[in-house]
Amino acid sequence: MTTALRSSHRPSRPPGHGPGAALAETLRDRGRRRLFRQDALTVLAWASGAAAVALYLADGGAAQFHSLSPALTAIGVVAGLIGTDLVLAMLLLAARITLIDRAIGHDRAMAVHGKLGKPALYLILAHMVFLLLGYGVADGLNPIAEGVSMWVNLPDMWLAFISIVLFLAVVVTSLVAVRRRFPYEFWYVVHLLTYAAVLTALPHQFSVGGLFADGQWQRWYWIAFYVLVLAALLRYRIWAPLALTFRHQLTVRRVVPAGDGAVNVELTGLRLEELAGSGGRFFIWRFLAPGLWWHHHPFSLSADPAAGRLRITVRNLGKGSASLMAVKPGTKVSVSGPYGLFGHAARTRPGLVLVGSGIGITPLRAILERAEFSPGHATVILRASTPGTLYLRDEIAELCRLRGATLYELVGHRARSGNAWLPRHQSGLGLTDYVGDLVDSDLYVCGPTAWAESVLADAKASGLSGEQLHRERFDW
Amino acid sequence: MRARAAAAAALASVGILAAGWQAGTHVVEAASVTTGAAGTTGASGTTGASGASGTGASGSGPGTSGSTSGSAGSSSGSQGSASSGALKNGTFTGAAEETRFGEVQVQIVVAGGKVTDVKALHLTDAERRSAMISATAAPILRSEVLQAQSANVDTVSGATVTSGAYLTSLQAALDAARA
Amino acid sequence: MQPGPEPQPAHAALATGAPPLLARTFLAMGTVVSLTVAFPPGAERGEAADRLEAASRVIEGDFEALEQRFSLYRDDSEASALARGVLRLAHASPEMRACYVEAVDWRRLTHGAFTAERPDGVLDLSGLVKGRAIAAAGRSLAALGLHDWCLNAGGDVLVSGTPSPSSAALASAPRGERPWLAGIADPADRRTLLGAYPLGGAPPSSDPSGSRRPATAGPRLALATSGSAERGDHIWAVGGGKPEFAQASVAGPDMVTADVLATAIVAGGRDMLNLAVAHWDVDVLAVTHDGELLATRGFRAPRAA
Repeated sequence: MTTALRSSHRPSRPPGHGPGAALAETLRDRGRRRLFRQDALTVLAWASGAAAVALYLADGGAAQFHSLSPALTAIGVVAGLIGTDLVLAMLLLAARITLIDRAIGHDRAMAVHGKLGKPALYLILAHMVFLLLGYGVADGLNPIAEGVSMWVNLPDMWLAFISIVLFLAVVVTSLVAVRRRFPYEFWYVVHLLTYAAVLTALPHQFSVGGLFADGQWQRWYWIAFYVLVLAALLRYRIWAPLALTFRHQLTVRRVVPAGDGAVNVELTGLRLEELAGSGGRFFIWRFLAPGLWWHHHPFSLSADPAAGRLRITVRNLGKGSASLMAVKPGTKVSVSGPYGLFGHAARTRPGLVLVGSGIGITPLRAILERAEFSPGHATVILRASTPGTLYLRDEIAELCRLRGATLYELVGHRARSGNAWLPRHQSGLGLTDYVGDLVDSDLYVCGPTAWAESVLADAKASGLSGEQLHRERFDW
Repeated sequence: MRARAAAAAALASVGILAAGWQAGTHVVEAASVTTGAAGTTGASGTTGASGASGTGASGSGPGTSGSTSGSAGSSSGSQGSASSGALKNGTFTGAAEETRFGEVQVQIVVAGGKVTDVKALHLTDAERRSAMISATAAPILRSEVLQAQSANVDTVSGATVTSGAYLTSLQAALDAARA
Repeated sequence: MQPGPEPQPAHAALATGAPPLLARTFLAMGTVVSLTVAFPPGAERGEAADRLEAASRVIEGDFEALEQRFSLYRDDSEASALARGVLRLAHASPEMRACYVEAVDWRRLTHGAFTAERPDGVLDLSGLVKGRAIAAAGRSLAALGLHDWCLNAGGDVLVSGTPSPSSAALASAPRGERPWLAGIADPADRRTLLGAYPLGGAPPSSDPSGSRRPATAGPRLALATSGSAERGDHIWAVGGGKPEFAQASVAGPDMVTADVLATAIVAGGRDMLNLAVAHWDVDVLAVTHDGELLATRGFRAPRAA
């Protein structure tokens, strides 16, 4: 069954130079600044990789390629330097640093983090293999014997070998195929081993690595890099959540059903008005109850906080969120955030298009509540396979009416041809058919990965550029 | 915009690499000498721990302040042994050597036939450090030098004088008085 | 602060005229060598003069022998033959090769600041030979039974004993012996003194603040001074630049060490100065071209306690 429902009359277009022009300019400037930050981070990331190699070059590394053994050793050293640089960069990306979050968003930072995992591992493995080969040639030993000799005779090398095993374990368990076989909890604990891997890799760099020997200036650069990463982790991963949690003292007030397999979790706390205006940006929540406390959940607020209460809407997506359905009133909650670019700060155009599916609808509600737009310049498209999974439908319809947004509710099974994000009966249509000023709008998409990709493909085909597209990833 | 980021990143990376390379070419000469010196150190490390302290101590002892590798440019005499020595992995500790600053002991780390690290042991003692610092040559005022009148000294040390210049020297006056 | 001797005792000794100091000079190695011998107050002057004359002739022979082999100023010397390429080092005399080996050792120990090769490639062992000659002469004097003497060869000084020996019975404490006081010529004006340094006698002790006295701080018997202006091409700065120091004086336990280090410091500058005081039991006084002084403790005047 399919319904296409227009709950609000689409008003006639306002003149080109209305109140929207000023908004457009502000948004364009904001977008430019954000792109500049993005580019600056990109440059910084590449520069740090180059710097790692330059450290070695500055120590005369380029002269090592005159014969086999030093050349192998040099390749090994460079691989280790770049690999370690990547690992530290990954830690920075996962540190939820405000600057990085504002530039590319935490979800995208985590996507980059995930992409770097395998290259970093390969480089660190290459570091070991090439050094064993290079040192082996110099000592006249096969690489295995050389490894044994290094383990036995050199300081801190046994730690380095343990470190490489840990890195291997972390990356392998993070591969999507492997990750699905284990519960999230297992993967999470293994992932914490990253810190152990980084720490056990540290001593041999300074006690065996000639580049970072006492008296080398390179030693100071490397120490400074590590200290920077450690400081970022302490500041943003430990201090920020603690501070926010103690400030707001969140407690579960009640859990109420909100459609098929979803609940609204209502929380009470102090100074909640400070959390208002986060739009669709997400917070990271931990429910401090036995069995739940170490599992963190990224949810955005499904309504702006009011009267000492705030609300999140949770759908049963996995074991982690399933247990949330039964969370008891009175449970204390730790919170950090907000993170991500899925909010007002990412706007670049005066028009607004919100497209959500399933539980992905809930962050859109928070955006709709606060977003800047002139009446008639916002369109909300809700997508569900059954009417029961149009979460928060009534609240969203009411908000659309109040703020002058156009609402479409598209219910039905997915199309097999044409635009796959649409219900089967509308598959011949596209975004442009629903939104008149699409090219002058920001598009926010939230929902299952494949579906969201389909929406974005449609948007790109309709002429939208990358900066206009905003997507919340729920799959990291 | 992405093109801008790519161009800037490429430019920055190439610049940093070029700077590193450039800095490296200056180090290469000194590095080869360091390797040479390290080679002798390590070689004696394999033959006997007592030998390791000799070269090690002169290579990394107190007060040499890192510039030693630069000035070692011509100490090619020890370089030949670098290639010949098949050094075993491990840390080698030289015999403790009594110096004017107390006991100095040198430890080297050998990995893949190369000395990758040299550590001076027994040098962290604050007392010994301060003794070392006070023994170093420091700028002083002329008035602080032990003073003497030319009539009071027994002999005069100076840059070598030719026999001709000797006639007008203070030493000549002293010698004449004692003839 | 070492209990450095005051100039007064020397003056007092001269005033009373008690211990006679006798000196003889002769030409060697292009400069003047002077030998001063001190005799106890009771010594008979004529006999003392004879002993000095005999000793002087012996060490003149020592210098002459070394010069014959090593002087580049003599066409018939072995060194000249080597310089001209007529003779190869492999076929040179054992003495020549031993001297060369020692020079190479010093080059290594001084990280290249001291070298036995001139920039034009000619083997020039003169930086080492003079020190060796003075040291050899010192051994001859000891063999002749002389105890209290001061040997000065063109500004490099080696001493033994004291300039004011007492008769053995009167020696109350060995530490009470007055050292030889060596003046250091000012490179800007050789007829004035920068300061002085006590040689021989009691070795300079460490400061009284209680820090342990280094076990190897031996007596200072030798004092060598090198200058960057001397003999034109004698010393070359490492790296070819202008030497940092106009003059460097090194006081140490033996003549060759003092001489080599003084040469090396003028050539190697501040780095070599630091290396020298770190690794050798020496005192150093260096003079920059601006007339600034750098000195180790031994060259400082004792402060009033």
